Amino acid sequence: MPQVPFEIYRGDDRQFRFQTYLLDVPEDTPILTALLRIRDEIDPTLTLRYSCRQAICGSCAMRVNGKSRLACLTMVGPEFRRRGKLRVEPMANQPVLRDLVVDQDPFWQRYRAIRPYLIPDPARPMPVGQVNPMTPAQVDQFRETPRCIACASCYSACPAVAADPAFLGPMALAKLYRFVVDPRDGAYRERLAQVQNQSLWLCLRCNLCVEACPKDVRPAERIVDLKWMANQEIGAREEGSRHALAFMTNIREGGLLNETKLVRQTLGIWGLLSQIPKGLAMMRRGRSLSRHPPITDREQLDVLYRELDGPEDLQHRLRPPGRGVKGDAPSPSTPGNPPPPGGSS
Amino acid sequence: MKVAYYPGCVAQESGRELDMATRKVAPLLGLELVDFPNFSCCGSGFVDEANLTLNTAINARNLAIAERAGLSTIMTVCSTCQGMLQLTRKRLEPDSPLKERVQKALAQIGMSYQGQARPKHLLQIVVEDLGGAEALRSRVRRPLTGLKVGAFYGCHLLRPHDEMEFDDPEDPHAFEDVIRALGAEPVDYRGRVLCCGFPIQFVKPRTAERIAGQQIQDAKRHGAEAMSTPCPLCHISLDTYQKEAGRAVGEDLQMPILHFPQLVGLALGLDPVSLGLDRHLVSTRSLWSRLGPIGVPR
Repeated sequence: MPQVPFEIYRGDDRQFRFQTYLLDVPEDTPILTALLRIRDEIDPTLTLRYSCRQAICGSCAMRVNGKSRLACLTMVGPEFRRRGKLRVEPMANQPVLRDLVVDQDPFWQRYRAIRPYLIPDPARPMPVGQVNPMTPAQVDQFRETPRCIACASCYSACPAVAADPAFLGPMALAKLYRFVVDPRDGAYRERLAQVQNQSLWLCLRCNLCVEACPKDVRPAERIVDLKWMANQEIGAREEGSRHALAFMTNIREGGLLNETKLVRQTLGIWGLLSQIPKGLAMMRRGRSLSRHPPITDREQLDVLYRELDGPEDLQHRLRPPGRGVKGDAPSPSTPGNPPPPGGSS
Repeated sequence: MKVAYYPGCVAQESGRELDMATRKVAPLLGLELVDFPNFSCCGSGFVDEANLTLNTAINARNLAIAERAGLSTIMTVCSTCQGMLQLTRKRLEPDSPLKERVQKALAQIGMSYQGQARPKHLLQIVVEDLGGAEALRSRVRRPLTGLKVGAFYGCHLLRPHDEMEFDDPEDPHAFEDVIRALGAEPVDYRGRVLCCGFPIQFVKPRTAERIAGQQIQDAKRHGAEAMSTPCPLCHISLDTYQKEAGRAVGEDLQMPILHFPQLVGLALGLDPVSLGLDRHLVSTRSLWSRLGPIGVPR
């Protein structure tokens, strides 16, 4: 393999530049190993955080060609082949202290906010001095969440975190899910109520956290489960849950969406009125919101709703087990990929 | 290639230009569209938040409709519809705990899901089934020479990758390959794989608009003169709400946003009005004047 250019972020939020180092490395070299070689052989001032070098400690998360990844688990080859270089930056959504080291306080504060510990029900005290067993089915409900190593890759990748300080972020919410489904926890309703009115519905469902997570925790999917549980337990009290329920009724009524009705059901009549200027602007361009006729065989939907629109069992929301932990699987951007889009970034 | 055409809700209501453009472009690409007036909405991911089992059954019905007609491809023109239909396929793989309940419900309406019809977005069909960028290049009658276009993918077409099974989920290239084949120049910017803000447009409009504004700004800063998206929901955020998005980021953005088949249609020599390019809230006229003469395909 030719020499690999590493363009590395140097500095902090106030002042930074990208410094390029050329390195001869085999393509199956972990990026962390390459960075340590740069530090040891070329520039001892390069600052980074790491510890175990085997995807257990979660210390070495950073951005590699824009993707939030553990540096110890990401190999040089695929990224170099795809982009012709390795642009290494500190994680996003956290202040940079120096080079590749960020201040993780915002991440941990959000984790703390979900109270990541069991809150027993006072009416059902935990047995003292003996085990408090769970059934395998109960353990299954945790899904992949116990695998989380708190590396903050998902937090770094999340555009909702970047856009809105009220959003707790994928990791904190995945952890919240883990305590919500724990049968030994007594704060089910309280925990759901805490997020129902603020953080939960800011998730964009972009699934970038799913791609970033080195342990396949799939936070975005657990957030959808939390929304479902919050709707069942607390009810639809704000726009997010009302929107979800409006979709349900809309589809049943006509098969396709009635956009005007959807807005009214989500935002209420005053909210609908606030959209009138937009509606007029659209109509001026010939974009009418006139309702299309119901689909044919619409009554088939009535049957499906009758069959399935009852209380749903969390178990039914689970998908087949056995999806492996990421990291060993070949990256989708391995050989044969064409050159990167556009010119230089 | 004969496909079941799944236009989705937006293309049949406020974003009808997407449907117009798709129907114009399809025959020029060698696609025969079969309509099904009984297709329902895909639930756009929102129904999952209320009842995932029901949402899966609703989409299993859509897939079963195409399947029963003997069609192996159900063509979407919306990243979100594509995501939901493909997710349904994955959810109904043989060992799924959902499958039995869904099949039972489908049996009540005389249907069954066999997994024979695969949902594919038009973009996916162009690159995977119609000969890819090279074949497309040979159909171009009016190359969009010199036009700098920012592709905007729409999350659900790409992620989660293990379910969508298309391109690289964080650094894709299919759309850029197509842009190059059309004679235009793709713009490389990070925002192309990020969210448009649409899912929270009604939850927290200011946040949604800021997100949309940032992506347009990002494309613009990297030289884009137009953006194009395979998702009509992204189109709503980027075009319909562009004024608000601009206000949220403090810039008059003035970025024309084209639906994917509109961009293809222009290069195939179709008239801008026939592609519905006069229906957008942000004017696309700056592009019309740059269109070259129509030539003979290479």
